[in-house]
Amino acid sequence: MSIDKELREELRQAADSMDCPPELYGHVRQTYLHYVKEKRGRSRMKKRMLAGIVAAAILIPSAVFASSYNLADEIFGSSSTIEQHGGTQEDYQEIEGLLQAAKGKLTEDEFKAYMELTKQLMQLKLKITDDNGVSHEEKLTDEEQKQWVQITAKLAPYFKKIDGNARS
Amino acid sequence: MNDKELLPWLEQATLGDESAFQLVYKATHQDVYRTVAFLVYNKPDIEDIVNEVYLRMWSSFHTYDSHRPFRYWLHGIIVRQVQDWKRKAWRRIRLFERNRQMTREQFDWTDKAVLHSEMQHDLFDRVRQLSYKLRVVVILRYYHDYALEEIADILQIPVGTVKSRHHLALKELRKQFQMTGGDVYVN
Repeated sequence: MSIDKELREELRQAADSMDCPPELYGHVRQTYLHYVKEKRGRSRMKKRMLAGIVAAAILIPSAVFASSYNLADEIFGSSSTIEQHGGTQEDYQEIEGLLQAAKGKLTEDEFKAYMELTKQLMQLKLKITDDNGVSHEEKLTDEEQKQWVQITAKLAPYFKKIDGNARS
Repeated sequence: MNDKELLPWLEQATLGDESAFQLVYKATHQDVYRTVAFLVYNKPDIEDIVNEVYLRMWSSFHTYDSHRPFRYWLHGIIVRQVQDWKRKAWRRIRLFERNRQMTREQFDWTDKAVLHSEMQHDLFDRVRQLSYKLRVVVILRYYHDYALEEIADILQIPVGTVKSRHHLALKELRKQFQMTGGDVYVN
């Protein structure tokens, strides 16, 4: 018999006699469950961080007080929309201030795009915020999460510009 | 179930579906265990490595190229985990202790797992005594039937090196069996 054939045959037979011990399943399963738990924890943390970044980005431009709520109304309709989600009149005023600040710093076209994106983002934000103003990121579908990331990515340069001008 | 059918389950398992995990384990555990046991002889170490291989399977699934066979990817993971373990073992345990333990385990294992079989096991015993570098080539070539080029890819070494190790391994094995030339083997 050729050594090739002999080797194949012997290794096959040896392999057949080496059975995976049944108790190993328990160990591998434990490690697997731990892995899944960790992974879920990580992705939740990522979402939280993302929400934090968005919140920070919105608050970065220094507020310019505005007396009317025209711009905020364009996004939310009226202040009652955010009041249903735990917001207050003061919050609404602040948002209006931020939007006014943005209007002053961006060109007309940029501001138009900025408003459109902010509107989309706020719709998602309202969806996940309950009556008490607490966020539940897990309410977003996968598709919406992707949208969220895309919108914030698109908004980032505007924030940069608004913030940059505010500081200078 | 063939390997192609296994892939969706593997993906499900990485997303946390425990029944998919069970299915993937059932379909692969003997292959994983046996491959590791050909390369490492200490039972607790084999089990640790198998565990690591599965962990790597979940965490690296996103790197899997679906144009390549699943087993090929899996065997690559196994070999890397074994090599990783070997590196760590060198750092962790003093050489003396390791050698003593290996020798003892080797005989335990041989008695239990192999000598029960009725075959002539001289050749297999020879394989087990080859150095790791030669043995891994023999196992991939003759147990998993990979071409030398594929082995080079799995081990991430040049094909020339694989060829010379393959040649050297066969030479060692033949020497023990007093080969009369060519591939002919006289008992």
